[in-house]
Amino acid sequence: MSSLIINRSRSRAVLLWKTHVIKIASIFSHAFADSDSASGFSSDSARSFKTTSSGFGSRKISNLAFSRSNFVSTTRPLSSEAVHVASTCDRLTVERIIANQWPILDENESDWKSHAAAIAQSIQVIKRRLQWKKLLVRLRMLSVELNKPHLWDDPTHAGKISREHGSLTGKMKGVMTFERELLEHIDMLKLAKEEKDSELESETMSALMEMRRVSKEKELEALLSAENDHCSCYIEVQAGAGGTESNDWASMVMDMYKTWAQRRKFSVAVVDEMPGEMAGIKRATIKVNGEYAYGYAKAEVGVHRLVRISPFDSGKRRHTSFAAVAVIPILGDGSTRVQINDSDLRIERFRSGGAGGQHANTTDSAVRIIHIPTGITATCQNERSQHMNKASAMAVLQSRLDQLEMARQTAMNAQHTQSLTEISWGNQIRTYVLHPYRMVKDLRTNYEVSDPDSVLEGDLDGFILSFLSSSLDKGDDEN
Amino acid sequence: MIRSFRLTSLLSAAKPLRSFACSSSPARVAPPCASFAEEKSSPPPNSLSITPPKTPLFLTKPSHAAPLSEVWKWHDWAKDLASSVDNSSTKAEDSLDSILLLRELKWLIEDSIEADHPVITGTEVTYDGEKSVKLRASLEELYDLWRQRIEKRRPFQYVVGCEHWRDLVLCVEEGVLIPRPETELIVDMVEKVVTRDEWFKRGTWADLGTGSGAIAIGVARVLGGCGRVVATDLSPVAIAVAGNNVKRYGLEGVIEVREGSWFEPLKELEGKLVGLVSNPPYIPSDDIPGLQAEVGRHEPKLALDGGVDGTDSLLHLCDGASRMLTSGGFFAFETNGEKQSKMIVDYMTVDLKNSFSDVKIVSDFAGICRFVTGFRL
Repeated sequence: MSSLIINRSRSRAVLLWKTHVIKIASIFSHAFADSDSASGFSSDSARSFKTTSSGFGSRKISNLAFSRSNFVSTTRPLSSEAVHVASTCDRLTVERIIANQWPILDENESDWKSHAAAIAQSIQVIKRRLQWKKLLVRLRMLSVELNKPHLWDDPTHAGKISREHGSLTGKMKGVMTFERELLEHIDMLKLAKEEKDSELESETMSALMEMRRVSKEKELEALLSAENDHCSCYIEVQAGAGGTESNDWASMVMDMYKTWAQRRKFSVAVVDEMPGEMAGIKRATIKVNGEYAYGYAKAEVGVHRLVRISPFDSGKRRHTSFAAVAVIPILGDGSTRVQINDSDLRIERFRSGGAGGQHANTTDSAVRIIHIPTGITATCQNERSQHMNKASAMAVLQSRLDQLEMARQTAMNAQHTQSLTEISWGNQIRTYVLHPYRMVKDLRTNYEVSDPDSVLEGDLDGFILSFLSSSLDKGDDEN
Repeated sequence: MIRSFRLTSLLSAAKPLRSFACSSSPARVAPPCASFAEEKSSPPPNSLSITPPKTPLFLTKPSHAAPLSEVWKWHDWAKDLASSVDNSSTKAEDSLDSILLLRELKWLIEDSIEADHPVITGTEVTYDGEKSVKLRASLEELYDLWRQRIEKRRPFQYVVGCEHWRDLVLCVEEGVLIPRPETELIVDMVEKVVTRDEWFKRGTWADLGTGSGAIAIGVARVLGGCGRVVATDLSPVAIAVAGNNVKRYGLEGVIEVREGSWFEPLKELEGKLVGLVSNPPYIPSDDIPGLQAEVGRHEPKLALDGGVDGTDSLLHLCDGASRMLTSGGFFAFETNGEKQSKMIVDYMTVDLKNSFSDVKIVSDFAGICRFVTGFRL
């Protein structure tokens, strides 16, 4: 995405050079002087503006006389804090655009102020979701850490630090570039109007419209910016008390995730499945492979409640059933993973007694691996050989141990790292009512849908996105 | 026609209704005598007396096609048949288990339908019932195969013609023992030995009574291309199947398959083997009639019957091990369980005193004393 922006800003710069020989200066601090956007611009006539925090709201920026010389500048406050505020030549900044409260019209309306306001608003949302202030503080800490002379004495630690630094810098640059691009477009548009260059004006207008569209995507991306969000994951479902009825509910929940994942083009594989006696499942684990699978699925952690007339009750009474959902990230190779000693493992095979070996021909080669020090177990029975079941169970065990370690080490959002056993049955997140009325309601966000069938058929994104945004968007002080 | 993906779970909740709806399907089944396997592998006219190994389902060309709705009908029928098996048999090991059968059905679909099998297992969002799918066996054959599995208790591995073993997919057919999950551990043990000491990687290994060639292929792959493996078997069918599996894994240069009884084809290797592995027949003759139907009715007695107390072949292997292994050479044999393991350990440490070191019993994942391992002094 960022490369796209760079390309676009380059082509626009060329256009600018062709039509108007105007110098645009960009002053970047050491950290943000990315050659991509700065190259091609001369900075000899650069002017920097000092932004003051007071009184910008009262200024009628749109009425300011449009100056002949256009500048998009990134200014550095005197405090030399790492916050760089981009502005147009007439000192319009993203914050001021928002403060102006220009009405946001339909996307098809050719009104630059409307576009600018919509984009500025998105930038604000993105910053909030990225926890902008915290991000900048963390970035400064990481830079300090990176400059320590003996950092690479501990390569694992150093690798972790530099990875995080790289990822945060990328996120920060992405937003800064986007912000700068918005202001450049505004300058360009004003220039075009002044020069009565209708070609440039329409070009810029459509660039703004495109930015508006992209900004919505970026808002979504910003929802998934936590450390392990990009990972694949395991989803586990466990039936609550209540036998067949809740076993059936657990399998409905599992089916819901399977189809949801397939719609999202994630690949799904059943790892472990313990069927109920009559119907449904007691518990099951699926592996969901794909970019951001964990980031989305983590929103589903908790207890899901179903109210319906049970098809298993001959008396046709109303039943309430529960199913607990846990989500475990599968950390990538780059992450530090828990070391497992072979001697800490006990591997068991399920059998119904009997002599085994040549006596028995069975396609059942399920294994359970027990990590003795922690008591954590993992089971797999859906592979076609014992060897593969073992490998698959080991992968689950590894992820469970990683998760345990993560929960221990960091104060990460605790609810996302809870394992299935830790999820209290009181921690209800969503209710699915099929009778006497029909509704699915998320108890955390109050997001609700009146068509339970569509939800059970995997149409979960509304719930997931509303939860992710509400959990990140609350607390405006973050920005 | 668009059908909803939720069908599977809906159907499982309304079983009686479904079995009623499907009762008409079996009527369209081909007569049970249609032998699919024989048709498939009709040998080229100029072939010699030995029949070539059969092609497993998953390697067969998808030359059949059927509308999805028909495949669904078969799937529902097969599911029903699997769900309604009688679990009441007193001997747990000799009854069919619906859950396992349903899993096997899923694998049968994997092996017999080209590509997008989720369409059949009911996880796809929507699909078109009129759409045609490519099959590796005709629908009639599929009905017949599933009948054989349930009514004739034909082992699933013979039905699909392959067994997934370790990370391998081995072709198997009647006349060859289906490799067991327990036996995978022999390769694990060999792997441990060869990683500890490179010397084992460069020498010659032997797998006696190789059957499908499973252990030999597993061992060859952990040797990493340096050493070689000689695999022997008395049965010509096993020789053909093992040879084919060796070829499928491109190990012709590493594994040599020789026909003959135990050590007979290995005369020139006396005292030269660095490793000797075997899963010989070890079931006591008296136990043979009571075996699980899949085993007793379908698998080769030659690979199962170990004589009066089951140790005929094992004792022969012990004697041979002392003769064939070079000093420091490793052996691992599979046994019937605790009693037999102890007997073999006894025999090797007392009767064949001063021949072996570090002779010990290793358990399988079910906790049964399954293997005897050790080194030639």
